Amino acid sequence: MEDPKHETLDELLAKLPHDVALPRNLWPGVARGIKRRPRIMGSFAFAASAAMVCLVGALLWAVLREKPAERSDSATNSQTLGFDEPRDPAYLAARTELEKSFRERLAVLDPQTRAKIEASLALVRRAHEEIRQALADQPANPVLERLLQSTWHDEFDLYDHVVRGTQPTMTRS
Amino acid sequence: MGTVQLRQCAQVIDSGTEPVHVIAAAVNGDVGAFERLYALFAPNVYGLCLRLTGQREAAEDCTQDCFVAAWRALGRFEQRSRFSTWLQRIAIHTVLARRRGLRFRNEVAEPSAGMPDLADPGADAPPLDVERAIAALPERARHVLVLVGIYGYSHSEAADTLGVAEGTCKAQLHRARSLLTAALGLEE
Repeated sequence: MEDPKHETLDELLAKLPHDVALPRNLWPGVARGIKRRPRIMGSFAFAASAAMVCLVGALLWAVLREKPAERSDSATNSQTLGFDEPRDPAYLAARTELEKSFRERLAVLDPQTRAKIEASLALVRRAHEEIRQALADQPANPVLERLLQSTWHDEFDLYDHVVRGTQPTMTRS
Repeated sequence: MGTVQLRQCAQVIDSGTEPVHVIAAAVNGDVGAFERLYALFAPNVYGLCLRLTGQREAAEDCTQDCFVAAWRALGRFEQRSRFSTWLQRIAIHTVLARRRGLRFRNEVAEPSAGMPDLADPGADAPPLDVERAIAALPERARHVLVLVGIYGYSHSEAADTLGVAEGTCKAQLHRARSLLTAALGLEE
């Protein structure tokens, strides 16, 4: 081997292998971590559960009153959001249902209120998409991860507020 | 995973492309495919973590955490960057996050603990002194040297990933090189 003192620093650094053999197999720990922390984060699952409870409550209320809430054709136009974090079918179904309910309630609001809500929703979605794109370049960046969760919850909160805020008021017969 | 299959994947990586089918399967939730990716990329991630942390145990923890974080973030992986590059960025964030946590709890260990096992004693292996000298560098200087000097990041990429200004990155590299040159007794 060449005497290191006669080599330049760059030559020495270039010789360093990028791969280093692991002293032990770390896969069992990774596998445990994967099971403990599934793709859908705990908070997302919680939000999904909360949304489902909210949706069921709203539907139950409509059934008990024996007077279905006004519906609009826009409800059928609800589109999938295209977010790529949660993949669990049950979660996605719950989210779709919640958005459908939100669209139904939104359709019966006055145009001015509806415009404000839609503008807020667009803002949240744009922020979420920009953060998601930033995360593609900076995966696992903790600040971006938190911001992504935050915008995700913001969207949920918006749906929730609209659905709750437009529930039919209780009346005595 | 079979030896032949793993060898085929390794050949694909060596030839400059990545095992896109395995990556796609992992993105779709196939844990077996993800285990294959682990087998292929873990040595690279571990090497990076080992040099960034300067500690073997910390590097093992970070490598493990990196793959768990990668699994969680796989849904957001886009083909814009190479999978190995994407994984390295997760590893760097994992090391930095762990470092912040340890500093908060005042549990920072001495660098270079466990380093004697780093270099393979083969004929082409770099002198162990180089690895020891890198591990003994001040943390920020070491991070920049590892990313720019060893793993080929540009100053811009390293600065962006480490969350520092590009000028700071250049200054830290200069500092690291000066310290290493002196520590290894190299000619300026």
